[in-house]
Amino acid sequence: MSIERHTLVNLLQTILRELGEDLGKDSLLKTDEKTPLFGSRSELDSMNLVNFITEIEERLSDDYNIDITLANSSAMSRTRSPFLRVGSCIDYIIELIDKQNDE
Amino acid sequence: MSDLAFITGTRKGIGKAIAEHLLSQGWIVAGCSRRNNDLQHENYYHFNCDVSDEAAVIKTIKTVKKSLQPIKVLINNAGTASMNHLLLTPLNSYQDIFQTNVQGTFLMLRETAKQMSRTGGGRIINFTSIANPLNLEGEAIYAASKAAVESLTKTAAKELAEMNITVNAIGPTPVETDLIKLIPKEKIDSLVKQQSIQRLGTLEDILNAVDFFIKPQSDFITGQILYLGGVN
Repeated sequence: MSIERHTLVNLLQTILRELGEDLGKDSLLKTDEKTPLFGSRSELDSMNLVNFITEIEERLSDDYNIDITLANSSAMSRTRSPFLRVGSCIDYIIELIDKQNDE
Repeated sequence: MSDLAFITGTRKGIGKAIAEHLLSQGWIVAGCSRRNNDLQHENYYHFNCDVSDEAAVIKTIKTVKKSLQPIKVLINNAGTASMNHLLLTPLNSYQDIFQTNVQGTFLMLRETAKQMSRTGGGRIINFTSIANPLNLEGEAIYAASKAAVESLTKTAAKELAEMNITVNAIGPTPVETDLIKLIPKEKIDSLVKQQSIQRLGTLEDILNAVDFFIKPQSDFITGQILYLGGVN
């Protein structure tokens, strides 16, 4: 089970763009790895973030046959949340996929 | 195309009755239990899955969607009970009961709701028991686990409402199933006397409540705990 980083970037950007269209937030239409996902500088509120994370899990499963759970205890206990920015979220997804491949 | 309902604990008792009932109404039914199931129907699909096993639950729910279709109704029926005086209740009884009744309900609810949130919503029915409101002696841990399920139901109803998912719970009275086979008759009689309507429940009583929560007109009903027999 593997996926290229640029594919993940495209996937997260697509989900954010769709969210932006739904929410009427133009800043989500064009994002990059530095785009904040939560905190005062993020355009997403807590429920948007929940939907975003769920959407990533489901699309990875449906479209790439990658079954991982992003909201696990390892993510929640880190001092620096992996969901801080698009880039850190992608790092974390790759880490989870690598870990699953090693098991 | 018919909608799909997923029911946990379909090997026997209430779960099996609900599966047969929905199949007779034209639903596609997927079900799970820890062991094999002898339910044979062209629209029934069985999965061997321990509801308290996170990896197994994730795999099962994703497989249902990929190999069959998205889940429209989830019925968290799987449950276990153990009667004992509190002072004689082993820790592993507590762990078994909470793992199946609470952890299992939570995991199934979480994974299915993720799916439902992307497919236009759905209905989730959990199972509680009148053991909780009646504070039944000898069922301290079982009742505590069902209290947790009720709390989970009410909070989940709030959190999932905007995803068009309703979450309710049914609290049956004792029904003639394997779970109550070992309970002395005097105990059952005294329990039934605490109900407004003093009789044992039937599977039809439960099926009626299931029908109510999943009917299209019930989309404004969520976070409700429906005890049968007039218990409150």
